[in-house]
Formats: sequence, structure tokens, C-alpha cells
Amino acid sequence: MVATIMAAKGEVVNGRAFTAVAALMFVVIPAFGVALPSRAQDDKTLYPRMAPIEQYMMDRNAEIALARSAAPEAISRDAEVLVLGRHGYETAVKGKNGFVCVVERSWMAPFDDPEFLNPDQRLPLCLNPPAARSHLLLTFKTTDLALAGLSKTQMFDSIKSAFDKKEMPLPEPGAMCYMMSKQQYFGRKYGNADPHLMFWFPKTDNMFWGAGLPGSPVYVHQYSPEPITEFIISVSKWSDGTAAPTD
Amino acid sequence: MGRKTAKRISLGSAVLVVVLTGVLQMQAQSKTPYPAMDALDRYLMPDRNAEIALARSAAPDSISRDAKVLVLGPHGYETAVEGKNGFVCAVERAWMAPFDNPEFWNPKLRGPICYNPPAVRSILPMTYKRTEMVLAGQSKAQIEEGIKAFAKKELPALEPGAFTYMMSKEAYLTDSDGHNMAHLMFYTPLMDSAVWGAGVDKSPVMLNPQFAREGIDVFMVLTGMWSDGTLAPVNN
Repeated sequence: MVATIMAAKGEVVNGRAFTAVAALMFVVIPAFGVALPSRAQDDKTLYPRMAPIEQYMMDRNAEIALARSAAPEAISRDAEVLVLGRHGYETAVKGKNGFVCVVERSWMAPFDDPEFLNPDQRLPLCLNPPAARSHLLLTFKTTDLALAGLSKTQMFDSIKSAFDKKEMPLPEPGAMCYMMSKQQYFGRKYGNADPHLMFWFPKTDNMFWGAGLPGSPVYVHQYSPEPITEFIISVSKWSDGTAAPTD
Repeated sequence: MGRKTAKRISLGSAVLVVVLTGVLQMQAQSKTPYPAMDALDRYLMPDRNAEIALARSAAPDSISRDAKVLVLGPHGYETAVEGKNGFVCAVERAWMAPFDNPEFWNPKLRGPICYNPPAVRSILPMTYKRTEMVLAGQSKAQIEEGIKAFAKKELPALEPGAFTYMMSKEAYLTDSDGHNMAHLMFYTPLMDSAVWGAGVDKSPVMLNPQFAREGIDVFMVLTGMWSDGTLAPVNN
């Protein structure tokens, strides 16, 4: 865990919906006022376009299990579970505790992440009720745009427009999620990365959590184009209670 | 809340973590090792520099070295070191615990804590207020009443993002085994602990009702790491 974090210290890029400690490593400084560079939408990437949709799909039961693995069983067993279909996310299991577990795909990574659209990425997370009411809608929208075959630039513009017009909600107070699956996969560079929690706020530059400073378990990610700030707290155990790697 | 979780919490922090379970409530009723305030000197740290160092140990050096540092004197907290990054570090004493905590007056407790700027503005005033009432010789019941009135009339509104570090390896948070636990604390309006999945098996999140009287929830996240970067035990 620590090594993964330390390995990425100093890298600063701009990005959008961040769902990985791997990605958070890129953006460790802005809480203390360092401006992020502008997005390079034409970055060359390993995955310049969407792969065939089948490559993003999963066995339904495997996807349910993977989604649930994002949080301790005590939380995820009563959560609603979504699975990705050809036309977007569908409810596979009704929940009763307000949490929603879902496996996000690589289009939720920052737009300039080289692994954006990597069909192998699997990013399980369980959103708490405030996040399920607010932040999850961003996952739905981005997924719809990706499945509709829009380019990255078109996706970016559509999401920006939606927030500009206030058609998309900002994070509710207390919005957070668990991302503690041992099976999560962030792609070639970061693999399974680390277990962590994520907390979302309407964009702010002045919370000063000490994010990204040496020794701090806190990281920050400023979304773009969404006016959202994400704080990531690295934790030491996977959702099954086993210890995460420390080197 | 399961017995295992309750045990973990009780071991984790008497200053800041909660006595929620029936087991511990029974302990509180049947065994009160600290029924009243001890002599003031027992709560003070005679070595000012030691208190400064302990306060700073709550957060990684990259944060605490530029933080304002408070030390406790006979008349309240005093600024020992001016800061420049907006954080404030201090060493809390036992009276910052929940009012029903049996260690509320434990003179051995030392809770190093570093507040981020939103917490400085909206949480630290409670530390000042409780400490002021304690040093004025008020009883626990008087303090409890006083803090309720303070929260209602004088306490600034809770700011979003209020947050503290408690990652000191040298903290003494309880007489129970372990005495300590590396964690972060998030402050929110009162809500159901289930909203954050707090207190359930294998969750790194716990609810601490430290400021329930003040209308504020405190969610704790175990970091598994001390402020010096070494690994801290996490007993899920």
C-alpha cells in the first residue's frame, strides 16, 4: 500500500471521475492550492477507442460477486447490486440498506488516463446512500455516453454541459464509498492497487486535509469537468479482513 | 454492533471512542476508576517541549511542522507555536471523551490531535469550551449542560470537510489493552451510523458519539499507519 502510494508521489495530472488509488496517485497536491494542468484530451493512449462491447461485459454472477467485494460483507450483503448490460447498468439484486454496489469500467477513469477505455479494468465500489443518490448518477451518465459510442471529447463536453446546466447533482453531504475489493483491477500500471475509501464534495480548494503530503494517508483528486473534489483514504485491509500489501 | 467491534472500539480510544455496548456500560456503572477530577497537575505536562512534540506527532511531519501548536496550561490552552498552514495541533485530555465514558477523568489520557482549518473553526471551539469549564472546577453534569447550551447558541456551524488526524504512536487513549489506535476523524451532522457502514464487521469506519450532545457525529477511519509512517495495528 505505502509503496504504491509513494511510487506515484509527485505525479500530477488532471483527470475526471477517479475511481482508483492508482489514479489518485496522480493528483496528490491540489488541496494545497497547486493548480492542475489542463486536460490533454488528445493524449495518445494505449486504448484510443472503445473496444468491442463484449470485452467490457462480465458473467452476471461474477459481476455481482465482484461488486459486493468492494465492501465488507456486513455492508454489501444487503446492498443493491448493479450489473452492466449493453444499454447501461441494471439492477441485479434489490437492496435494503441503501448502499449500491457496482463494478465501474475504465470510462470512469480520468479522460487522460492512458488506460481510459481499457476493457480489462474492473473497479468495484459500494456507494453509501448519499452517494447513491448523487454520485452514482455520474456513473450512469458516463456509462450511457460510452455505450452510445461517443468520443472522449464528446463525453467530456456532454458531462460538462450537464453540470453547467445543473442537470447533474453535486455530491450530497456525507457521500462516500468503499473500494476495498481484493479483486479490483486498475489496469497494467497499478494492478489491484490498494483498498481505500473515497469521499466526495462539491468542488473545493480550501478544505486542506493535508492530502498528498508525505506520510499522509489522504489523497485528493479534483475532477474535471465535473465540479467535484474527491478525497481518498487508504486503509490497511481488504474487504475480507485480510491485510493489504505494505510494500 | 457486534461484541467484537465493541471490544475493538473500547480498546481503541477512551478519549475519542465510545462506550456503546452494554458490556462497557455495565463496566461504567460497576467500576468507576475515575469518579471525579484529579488534581490539576496530573493533567498537565510539566515539560512544555514534550507537549509540543506530542501534539505534533498526531499528524505526519509534513503537516504538523507548520501547524500552530497549543499546550495546556492551568488556565486553558495557550499558543506555544504559531503556525502557517492553518492546521492546529494539541493534546486533548480525558474530558474530551463522551460524558458516559468511565475514563472521562483519567489523568493519564493524552490525545494528540491535529485539526484541519474547517475543524479549527468548527470543532476546536468545543475543546476550548470543555477545557474552560473543567478548569473552572465544574462537575461533569455542569459541563454536559454547559456544552449543550454552548452548542446551541455559540458554536460555529459545522463546516463541510472538518477533519482531524490522530495518528500519534505516543498517544494514550485508554487504560485498555493497546492504549492507542491510528485514525482519522470526520465530523458530520448527526446521522445514522449505517449511512457510512460504521461499526460493522471488517469495516474500517467507526462512529464515535464524542460530540453527540453537541449534535455532531464523529466518524473514525483506521489508517493502519502511524504518523511516522510505520505500520499501526488494526484489529478488525
